[in-house]
Amino acid sequence: MFKLVLRNLSSHPIRSGITAVSVGVALFLVCVLTSIVTTLQSGLAAASSTRLVVMSSISLFVDIPLSYQEKIARVEGIANVVKWQWFGGYYKSQDNFFGQFAVDPERMFEVYPEVKVDEETKRKFLTQRNACIVGWQLAAEFPEWQQTGKIPITGALFPHPSGQAWDFELAGVYRSEAANFDNRTMFFRWDLFEETLKAAGQDPGVGVYVMSVEPGADIESMRAQIEGLFENGPATVRCDTESEFTRQFVSMLGDIPMFLGWIGAGVLVAILLGAVNAMLMAGREQTHDIGILKALGFDDATAFGVLITQSLVLCLTGGAFGIALAYVLEQPIALAIGSAFPGFFIQSSTYIGAGVASLVVGLAAGAIPAWNALRANCVEALRAKGA
Amino acid sequence: MSQAMIRVRNLTKSYQRGGETLTVLDQLNLEMAEGHFYALMGPSGSGKTTLLNLIGGLDSPDSGELFIAGENLAQLEGSELAAWRGANVGFVFQSFNLIPVLTARENVELPLKLTPLSRSQRRAQGETALKLVGLGDRMDHRPRQLSGGQEQRVAIARAVATDPKVILADEPTGDLDRKSAEQVLDLLGRLNREFKKTILMVTHDPHAAERAQSIVHLDKGQLGRIEHNQPVAAG
Repeated sequence: MFKLVLRNLSSHPIRSGITAVSVGVALFLVCVLTSIVTTLQSGLAAASSTRLVVMSSISLFVDIPLSYQEKIARVEGIANVVKWQWFGGYYKSQDNFFGQFAVDPERMFEVYPEVKVDEETKRKFLTQRNACIVGWQLAAEFPEWQQTGKIPITGALFPHPSGQAWDFELAGVYRSEAANFDNRTMFFRWDLFEETLKAAGQDPGVGVYVMSVEPGADIESMRAQIEGLFENGPATVRCDTESEFTRQFVSMLGDIPMFLGWIGAGVLVAILLGAVNAMLMAGREQTHDIGILKALGFDDATAFGVLITQSLVLCLTGGAFGIALAYVLEQPIALAIGSAFPGFFIQSSTYIGAGVASLVVGLAAGAIPAWNALRANCVEALRAKGA
Repeated sequence: MSQAMIRVRNLTKSYQRGGETLTVLDQLNLEMAEGHFYALMGPSGSGKTTLLNLIGGLDSPDSGELFIAGENLAQLEGSELAAWRGANVGFVFQSFNLIPVLTARENVELPLKLTPLSRSQRRAQGETALKLVGLGDRMDHRPRQLSGGQEQRVAIARAVATDPKVILADEPTGDLDRKSAEQVLDLLGRLNREFKKTILMVTHDPHAAERAQSIVHLDKGQLGRIEHNQPVAAG
């Protein structure tokens, strides 16, 4: 009977092909949309609850004073403090968007042990004033950096006093296995940033301070203590765990998971209707053949099986195509949307979910024609006009 | 007369058409002998095809008894009836009713899938049936690549592939030219004579009916006269 199923599908190659490809493209989209959500969620899940982040109590976009670092470092239980400042520049064109941060080089590796670099890269970054490190995904996007070793960045928020681009030397590439630390960012040294701005008469502020804490430290009490330190200072601050900070940062983007979930569900429903339509047409055309099968002695279950198998083959083939497409395009997509969704990757559970979805679509699309075939009266089915 | 292969007792069948009950077969009684070739004739609406469908287990009577090869069809339903049909009846239809996406060989092998035969046995039996109808060189052709006469011969090969006791043919020459019709009638005659198949053939064509040993006339759902022929020698 499987031969009959395959022959029926191949007898309408355009319709079968379009339906399978539609299912494939829909499941590819569902894979991508789902992965954006899981990428955001895995970033939240991987964010540390034992690292603290201090930011302005007004907004993430308001700087806090440089002088706060020493006071924070003196709080009991703080192991290390690293400051970050969003640079907001671009490479050659504003289309080349990625994050750049000025950081304390030594402390960064101490606070973020998940960021891995080789010894030579670390040595250069710690000793060379205009050195920078970039994530491996960003390095893959701009291969010329590793050839020339130069990265000129035009400062949009912090223009270089010379009026030219800031010239950075590439010390090397970092790689983070943790989902909360993306691989599409550039880090350069705070001292270069501060001294350059000060030479031009500007006083740089700090975006956030990130602190690692000593084992066993009382996080809640430290948070209250740090916020209390600057209650009457020039800028009040808010201190959160990194996981809470990340959650709030993601929520600034709106309820993206729900929005993407609705789009994904809409895509699935649309393709289900398309597959149902294709299978209803196939079922109608094959009514006569079903009558023949029943006349020859095949039972109702066989008639049901022919139509449901046909639908399953069609949708599972499409599903396999969509999953393969998602697998092949995972890295290019990660590069393309890395600035908005750093660390994009497709989990194996997403592939499994897409496979299950194609199975469900296949069963649902074939259910009505298969049920009609099961119930078809042999004599009436034989009178039906064939394909 | 040989033992009865088909025994019909007080068979009634009616349909609902536009709110009215149309009685197609009315208290019909009939016996048909094993190994005999019958033609079933009558005007349109006389119940010929309905009787054929009931005998073949494609439809169910409203009342009455229907014994085919000793089996009371009224006691069978669903998959039991389908299995009985596959094992005991071969159908030949006016419009051939071959599956268009399958080759001649695959069409003939289709009912053999219901038997315990192995794949190679099915293949061998299908080939034998196709050679029997003179289509040994057209096995891998699809129905649309065959003429009407060839399609009907494939349908006959399919009907005999499972070696059924009864062959039911509904206007088997209705869509064929004279020459093809003769070939098909020759084949049916041969199946009756050489393989002792009980054949019941619905036809409007008196010339075709002459090939049968007996002609049963139906009129308004009731049995008319029965003529006994000296069948024309053929093949």
